[in-house]
Amino acid sequence: MLFKAFKIVAISVFAAQPLAAKNLDQPVGEVVLTVSGTPKAENAGEAAQFDLAMLEGLGAVEFETSTIWTQGVQHFEGLPLIQLVDHLGITGTTLRATAINDYSVDIPLADAVEGGPIIAYKHNGEEMSVRDKGPLWIVYPYDSKTEYQSEVVYSRSIWQLDRIEVIE
Amino acid sequence: MAGTKRRKMWLRLTAFVLPALLGLAAIAFLALNVSRDITRLNSASSDNIQWNLSQTEVEFLQFELELAQALQGDSPDIRSLRRKFDIFFSRIRTLQQASIYGELRAVPKFAANLATVAAFLDRAVPVIDSDEAALPSLLPALEQKTRAVRPDVRRLSVSGLNYFAVESDFRREAFSGTLLHLAIAIAALVAALAVLACYLAVLNAQNVRRRTQVIEASERMNIVTSTSLDAVVVADTLGRITDFNAAAEQIFGYSAKDAVGCDLGELIVPEHHRAAHQAGMARLRETGEKRVVGSGRFKLEAKRANGEVFPVELAIQSADTKEGEIFIAFLRDISSQVQAEAELVLARDRAMAGEKAKTDFLATMSHEIRTPLNGLLGNLTLLEETRLSTRQSRYIRNMQTSGKLLMSHISDVLDITKFDAGKLRLHTVDMNISTLLKDIVDSLSGAAAGNGSTLEWGWTGTPLNWVHADRDRIQHILMNIVGNAVKFTKDGRISITTQASAAEEGKTILRISVRDTGIGIDPGLLPQIFDDFATGDSSYDREVGGTGLGLGIAQRFVKALGGRITVESTPGEGSVFNVSFPVQAIAEPEPKGEARFDAPARKQANVLLVEDNEINRHVAREMLTAQGHFVTEAHNGREAVEMAEETGFDLILMDISMPVMDGRSAARAIRTSGGASARAPIIAVTANAMAEEQEAFLKDGMNDVLTKPLTREGLLQLIADHPSPAPPAPEGAALRSQQLVELEETVGAVALKPLLNRFAAEMEAFLKSLENGQDLAANETAVEAHRIAGSAATFGLPELRSALIRLEKAALSQERQAAEDALSPLRNTWTSTKPVLNLF
Repeated sequence: MLFKAFKIVAISVFAAQPLAAKNLDQPVGEVVLTVSGTPKAENAGEAAQFDLAMLEGLGAVEFETSTIWTQGVQHFEGLPLIQLVDHLGITGTTLRATAINDYSVDIPLADAVEGGPIIAYKHNGEEMSVRDKGPLWIVYPYDSKTEYQSEVVYSRSIWQLDRIEVIE
Repeated sequence: MAGTKRRKMWLRLTAFVLPALLGLAAIAFLALNVSRDITRLNSASSDNIQWNLSQTEVEFLQFELELAQALQGDSPDIRSLRRKFDIFFSRIRTLQQASIYGELRAVPKFAANLATVAAFLDRAVPVIDSDEAALPSLLPALEQKTRAVRPDVRRLSVSGLNYFAVESDFRREAFSGTLLHLAIAIAALVAALAVLACYLAVLNAQNVRRRTQVIEASERMNIVTSTSLDAVVVADTLGRITDFNAAAEQIFGYSAKDAVGCDLGELIVPEHHRAAHQAGMARLRETGEKRVVGSGRFKLEAKRANGEVFPVELAIQSADTKEGEIFIAFLRDISSQVQAEAELVLARDRAMAGEKAKTDFLATMSHEIRTPLNGLLGNLTLLEETRLSTRQSRYIRNMQTSGKLLMSHISDVLDITKFDAGKLRLHTVDMNISTLLKDIVDSLSGAAAGNGSTLEWGWTGTPLNWVHADRDRIQHILMNIVGNAVKFTKDGRISITTQASAAEEGKTILRISVRDTGIGIDPGLLPQIFDDFATGDSSYDREVGGTGLGLGIAQRFVKALGGRITVESTPGEGSVFNVSFPVQAIAEPEPKGEARFDAPARKQANVLLVEDNEINRHVAREMLTAQGHFVTEAHNGREAVEMAEETGFDLILMDISMPVMDGRSAARAIRTSGGASARAPIIAVTANAMAEEQEAFLKDGMNDVLTKPLTREGLLQLIADHPSPAPPAPEGAALRSQQLVELEETVGAVALKPLLNRFAAEMEAFLKSLENGQDLAANETAVEAHRIAGSAATFGLPELRSALIRLEKAALSQERQAAEDALSPLRNTWTSTKPVLNLF
């Protein structure tokens, strides 16, 4: 069922991309994200590694929102968290996201919903450098819901993301 | 009134509600503030600012550590160094760009530190980004710069933290202030609500109290109406019963449950009153006109459940209620009252009928007793004139004494009966008190002397001789009192003192005091002394006797006279009876021409005796014939009328109650017949003569009244008083005036006769001219009357003279009625005088 669903999503978004049945493609460029604790989808031992192109290939959503860390309305483009979760067949309840500076935060899997947070890889149309909170930044559409304007959500908006671990 | 009260209440309520509303608004406003503050705290746009700031320093130190390691090692980890730099760079960039640090960036100290750090980064970027081969050589310089900037990074984070600490304090204070305000507002609101609650509690208590009062009043009212003895029926304008109390249930026989809602008229108004009732209700509805409502009590009839119609007394009142006008009827069943009234009337009627029967019985009995008694006494009188032995004469006198006593007792009973029946009429005449007293003393002095007592009389103050009063009654009273005094006084003294004193309305009060030195009256008997059948103790009874009616009658007569009688007495010392009554004092009347009773035997009168009782007729006839009069007898009125038609009688003695035709009818018939005796004197003879009856007899045309029993003296006096109008013989008349006799002696019979004839002719002519239509009130009449009056005086005819002078005066003053009134006495006087003149 899950595979079937994945296949349909994959076909619908990236029809031309060849898909691995059990294991993911090997990252070609620099690995930007390592997801561990996903036994059904691994390409680096017991983890799934992604380069930016792989992430871009998994799906893309764009939205505009203001953030407390920026001035004015910002444009973000990235992979919806739910798509990553679906793609990797993650069935747990909590993800632990960790940044390059070792800042880490637990994100409940329940946050991964349609219209929810994305793993942004483009900010205002440009890829993000580490100096500009890149290369990956979990961004919630803060302006769409007041629930997303809370301290907890701000704390989950982790930038300079490079690891995700399914902990439960 | 109610409006003002309501407005006041609203005002008071508003006074409470308005602050409450204001408090509520304030609370709402403050709550909004709190909510905003809480939201602000919740949304916490801060991201964990303190952490970020301290992280700045941490990340700087990590970079510095990495840099130091790179300098010490042979092959520095360039990638890691760059990564640490980028992280720190990113942090500083965040501080520069993040909106949440906007306020912080406005703090000059922080801004300066940030600028310093940013400048360091700007200088460091080209070094870090330089070629990997060249980089190691540049690191020592970078390390120096990095060490130099460390204090700035430290200051940066510290100044930020300070700012946020102050900011946080400020916010806390603001929030707590808001909360305080909220608390105050809530407290105020609660206070206002508490006051409002108190006020409402007071209002409620008031309402409860009023409601209780209303309920109590209503209950009281219910008790009043339910315990009312009168039926209370309440109806609306349509006549439907809305209330029906317990008394109404009892009186009408309907239960309130059945009655309420029914039509008043159909339920309790009898059928014969129903149309009127409905008309009244209709009128009331249409015009509001109230005829019986509020008009007080009136009597009507009502109907019970069993159809019985009974009398009620009722009153109706109206009242305005919320449901419209209502009518309250108070009804009282007066059937028993009406019945009682009827019974009372019946009882009264019966009592009155009984009283009348008693009176009638007594009157009849007295008549029936007197008639035979008359016969008895009359025959005794006749017997007395026959040849008798001394013993027979004494027996006859004894019988006469007993008979007269019996007669007087009957008269007493009759008098009492008359007084109690209200039929006692005064018969007032001109009288002389002194003469009366003298007569009484004279008549009783013999008896007094027999008891060894003296009897005397006299006046205190100015004597009052002539009065207009009821002589017979006064005589009766005094005879009784003085007679008693004489009876009960032995060897003592009885004195009568009289005093006259003026009283109101020209009346005079006459006080007669009878004082004796007799045995006196026991104090215990005094209060009953004037009661009927009151007698002293038995010892006196044996000694003096009496019916016990005497003082009772005396008191009745005194009352009839308008006076009073009192008694004071001391046993063994004597008694004083005081009688006082009003009299009309008059001047001494002109002396009457004393008609001399002179040898009646030689003047014969032709008398018609009308009497149905044979014995009485016989007695009267004997008495008259014994005096030489001619007597014609008639057995009833009819016979008398027939005889009087044909024969001219000198005198007619007329019994009153007779079969066939009674005396009154007969007298009227004789007077109007124009027969031979039409103008003859008619004397009523009756055993039962009351004053008003006597007047009636005179109206019937009779000239005088003679009370039975007939006595010889009475009869002869009567004949003398009523000489025949047309004497059958010259010597028929029995009367002559003293003056005429003297005149006859002076001038001689031969000379007197023509004078008298001429006088008679003049008188006749005068009367005839008056009868023929001469004006009575004319001057000639007065002149002629005056002239003839002078002649009458000369011949010693004072009555005729008086009558003429009366006519003269009336004519002079032109009072026609008075003149006409004077004519009849003149004619009568002349009629009685003419025979006298013929005697000469």
